[in-house]
Parts: sequence; C-alpha cells; structure tokens
Amino acid sequence: MIESKRRRRVIANIATYFVLATLSTFCIGPMIWMFLTSLKYEADIVTQTMQYIPRRVTLDNYVAIWTQSGFPRLIANSLVVTFLTVTICVATGTLAAYTFSRFAFRGRTKLMLGYLVMRMFPAVMMIIPLYVVMRGVGLVDSRFGLALAYTSFLLPLFVWMLKGFFDSAPKELESAARIDGSTRLGAMVRIVMPLARNGLVASSVFIAIAAWNEFLFALMLTTGQGSRTWPVGLQLMVGEFQLPWGVLAAGGILSILPVIALFAIVQRTMVQGLTAGAIKG
Amino acid sequence: MATLSIKDVRKSYGSVQVLHGVDIELEDGGFLVLLGPSGCGKSTLLNMIAGLDDTSGGDILIGGRSVVDLAPKDRNIAMVFQSYALYPTMSVERNIGFGLEMRGVDADQRKRAVDDAARLLQISHLLDRRPANLSGGQRQRVAMGRAIVRDPELFLFDEPLSNLDAKLRVEMRTEIKRLHERLGTSIVYVTHDQIEAMTLATKVAVMKGGHIQQFADPRTIYERPANVFVASFIGSPAMNFLPGRLVSDANGVRFAAGGVSVALQASKQPVDSERPVVLGIRPEELKVVGRDEASVEGVIDVVEPTGPETMVTVQVGEQSIVARLPPRFAGRRNESIFLAVDPASVNLFNPGSEQRIDI
Repeated sequence: MIESKRRRRVIANIATYFVLATLSTFCIGPMIWMFLTSLKYEADIVTQTMQYIPRRVTLDNYVAIWTQSGFPRLIANSLVVTFLTVTICVATGTLAAYTFSRFAFRGRTKLMLGYLVMRMFPAVMMIIPLYVVMRGVGLVDSRFGLALAYTSFLLPLFVWMLKGFFDSAPKELESAARIDGSTRLGAMVRIVMPLARNGLVASSVFIAIAAWNEFLFALMLTTGQGSRTWPVGLQLMVGEFQLPWGVLAAGGILSILPVIALFAIVQRTMVQGLTAGAIKG
Repeated sequence: MATLSIKDVRKSYGSVQVLHGVDIELEDGGFLVLLGPSGCGKSTLLNMIAGLDDTSGGDILIGGRSVVDLAPKDRNIAMVFQSYALYPTMSVERNIGFGLEMRGVDADQRKRAVDDAARLLQISHLLDRRPANLSGGQRQRVAMGRAIVRDPELFLFDEPLSNLDAKLRVEMRTEIKRLHERLGTSIVYVTHDQIEAMTLATKVAVMKGGHIQQFADPRTIYERPANVFVASFIGSPAMNFLPGRLVSDANGVRFAAGGVSVALQASKQPVDSERPVVLGIRPEELKVVGRDEASVEGVIDVVEPTGPETMVTVQVGEQSIVARLPPRFAGRRNESIFLAVDPASVNLFNPGSEQRIDI
C-alpha cells in the first residue's frame, strides 16, 4: 500500500518535471539558439548540416551591429521612450488608481469599465485614428509622441493593476494619517505608496517591458532614425536580398540585456508585489 | 480638554438616511460612549466628529468651535481605530511621533513627548520595533500612545478593544479608564459592548437605526431605560419582560398577569386601571421568598450555576423569566419557586410604542 503510494508519487514527480522541462525548452530554447547564432561566423550559420554548437566563436556580429547600423541610437531611443512612458504612467496612473480605489464618484464604474473596453480593441484598430491625431498635433516621428501613444494603451492596464494594490492597503491607515496632520495627498504619498511600493514596481516593470518591446506603433509612428526604436530598427535590417542572421541575433541579445538587468534589480520586490495578498500576511 | 456639542446632525447616502437628527452634549472632560448594535450609525457619527465623513446637516462643535468645515487634521482630535491602524512601514517610535512630525515639532521635543507617552503606557522597550512584531495588546498601547502624545482636545475611540481576547480586553478597559482619569481629556468611545459602556462612560448614547434611543448617565440607562430596546440591550442576562395589565384598587396599584402580581409605587393618581402594560424586571432584582410574600410564582425550568451566582430560568404561566440568585441556590427542575421583587426597581413599558411609562 505504502509502496504503491510512493511509486505513484515518483511517477507524478517525473511527469511534472517532464512537462516543466518541455515548457522551459520552448521558452528558453530560442533564446539560447539566438545567443549561439550571434557568436557564429556568417558562413557557419547557413550550412548543409545544422551546427548547434559553434565550432568557431566570434564577436564580430556584436561589433558590426554596434558600429555599423546605428544600433546604439535605436537602443537610446527605446530607453527614452520607455522612460517617458513609465514616467507618464506612474505620475498620472498612480493618482488615477488611488482615486478609483478611494473615492466613490458618479460614473466611476463606467469609467473603469471603459478602461477595460479600450484594452479589448486590437491595436491595429486604434492605429490609424491615433496616427491622424498625432499628425494633427505634430507628434509623429517624435519620442514623446510615441511615449504618449504607448501610454494610451498601457495606462489602463497600469491603473487596473495598481488599483488592486491600493485596494488592499487599509483605509484606516489614511484616516489615521489625516487625523495625525496629513492632507489626503500627503497620506497617499507617505502611507499608502510605501505600502503599495511592491505593486508599483511590479506594475511599472510590466509597463516598461511592454513599451520596450512594442513594434506596431513604433513602426507606424516613426519614420526617421531620430525616434526609431530597436524593434523597428532590427526589422528594417532585413533586406530584400540579404538576411544578416548573425547581426540580427546579436541585436536581439543586446536588446534583451536591459530587460534582464531590470529584472535582476527589481526581481525580489516584483515577486513580492505580484504575490501580495496571495497568502495572509 | 473641551466640550463636545452635536446639534441635529444628519447623514444620508443618496436617499438612504442613516442618522436622523442626533443631539448630544458632552461636558468638559466627559466620557461619552456611543452604544448600539451593528449598523446603528455610531461609527458614522464618530467619523463625522473626526471629519472623515461629511455631515449632511447639523453642526458639530468641539470646545465651542464649529468643526464641520474643517479637515480632520485641523480639528485637534486624536483617534484610536479598531484595527489600530499603525503605519506598518514605520517603527513604533515614528508611529507615535508621526502626528508631531506632521505638525513640524522638532526632533528633540518629539523624542521627549514620545518617551513620556511610551513610559505612561509601558511600551518604552518596544520603540524600535515594527508594528508587525507586536502582540495585539502592544499594538493597542501603541495606538493609544499615538493618540495621547499630541495632547488633543478630544479623543475618539472606535471599538478599540474588540480585537483583543477577553482577558486583555478587561485589562485594557481598566487602562483606558485610568488614562481618562489621569489626562482628563474628553473622550468619545464607540462600542457594542454594554459592559464597556457601563464601566467607562460618564454619558451613554444608546443608538438604533440612526436614532438616539436614550442619552443619559450609565446608572439611569440601566435603572430607568427609556424604552424596551434600551432595556433589553443593556444588562446580561437581559431584562425580563412580562406582558400584563395595571390594576388599581383599594390596596393601591399593581401589575397583574398569570402567576404574577407586583405591587407598584404610583406617584400620580388616578392610574388608568386595566391598562395593558409590559413589566420589565432585571434578573438580579428577583429574590426567593416564602409563598406568602411572593409576587411571582413559577416552576423552575433550568438551573445554571456560574460560580459567583446561579442563573435560574423560571416558567411563569406562558412566559419564561431569568432570575440571578445566590450561588448556593438549591432548587431543582420542576420544583415550584416563589420570587419577590422590589417595586422601586421595576420598569413599565407601553406594549404598543414600547416606550417607558411612569405612573
């Protein structure tokens, strides 16, 4: 009886690990392949028999993309646009989320629902009207304009996420702070924000990654080198007659480095934020 | 220290009115308890005094100054919450000193004030800790420290003891009473616990459905309740209610019902004979007597010795009443029992309106 129970558990464990390993291969496999490709000579990439592990290793692809393609400019643009998007979202979204969480005002539910509905439309539907608006106010092909466009579809997500974190901060704490001498805004900044810090970090990282990787809006709303971001830049390197695999792979690896760095820095806070309320604290 | 005047204060949420014209006057240094069941509007009233909720009408004056248009921080009050509402990211010291910090008191002075408050509440050794590392009783003390350190005109307590276990609750109740006597600051205290109300208050406002049912000192509330609700809400076990009628004859006025005949002290004459009334008798006012002196005759139903006393449930005709008798009461189930009651201690109520009747 005990023997069979143990066997069943072992089988269950093996199955679990098998599923996890398969999923991990699908997730991490392409990245490893991209990394290996970025280290290969162009001649070793397209060969008759597949070479998984490169026989010769070179950093030429990295040198090439960094020096010859304006890639640093693309990365800089992406950083600026991401930074602007996160800044606008945090500044306006925090106040909006707090308001939704704490004040009962006419049309609150409808407005919140409106935020959700906006997320339901595919980006393609919004892009033409958005382009017309941006052209009207002279913000096409500007980094600020792109950040505004990102804000238009990332802010609702940010507000919804953050509202949940604000909801879980006890209202009595603010009441206490208001009696102790704070204004409402002061109580929010001094008492609620430190409590929702993890949630704020988690939500901001979500926004940052989405803005960093965004392709469609960037393709439509940027035309010149001045404001083009890396996803568009990389795509434009695919020429009609050539496909520089090694350089593209190197570009891909470089572009995920900031994301990895960001995760490394905020990982602990972010996991705490995302699992907050999962267990009684 | 300050007086508190609540004048015709009303509160509605949309078309739902939750407070209907409340009037309360609290003397300087008084201890007002707002008592009532859940949803009676007592916490709403407290929040309006604090400024956390807006009033829909009426006026609130603290120390003679109208505060309805002032922000909570400008009302010079301090509040202790049911959940303590300690700031989780700050140390105990900063929690207690936060109000002073917000008011721009310099660090040295703040430290002295925090130390004094901590010493008074015996929490000096906890000042470096975070609220998460404190027990319930310690949190309660820190919350009180945060309130007293600012030396406000008025303290507000919102069911401060309801999250504590029974033993600690009694301890903290004594502590609050001691603190009030020592500081002499006026207090408004919300609770649904009638023992807290009786032990702490100088004035009690019993509330139900957004109305004040009775506003008086605790003794009056207990001995001369204004209506059946107040009479039944205060006292444990609850007051016994017996429906019957008044009888007026040559021997005087008495209350009569099946198995019950209680002589009453009538101050006004004539008494409306045969008038239906409800008699209210506190369980502790009933005493076992001989058959000749009995005003209540019944049969013992249940005997519950609690140690210091014995609760006896007696079947009187169709009704069942509870008597609080001495610990060594020897009666048994189904035996006859004869009880007498002091006429001065009984209450009469109108069976229709449930309001008190004085005869």
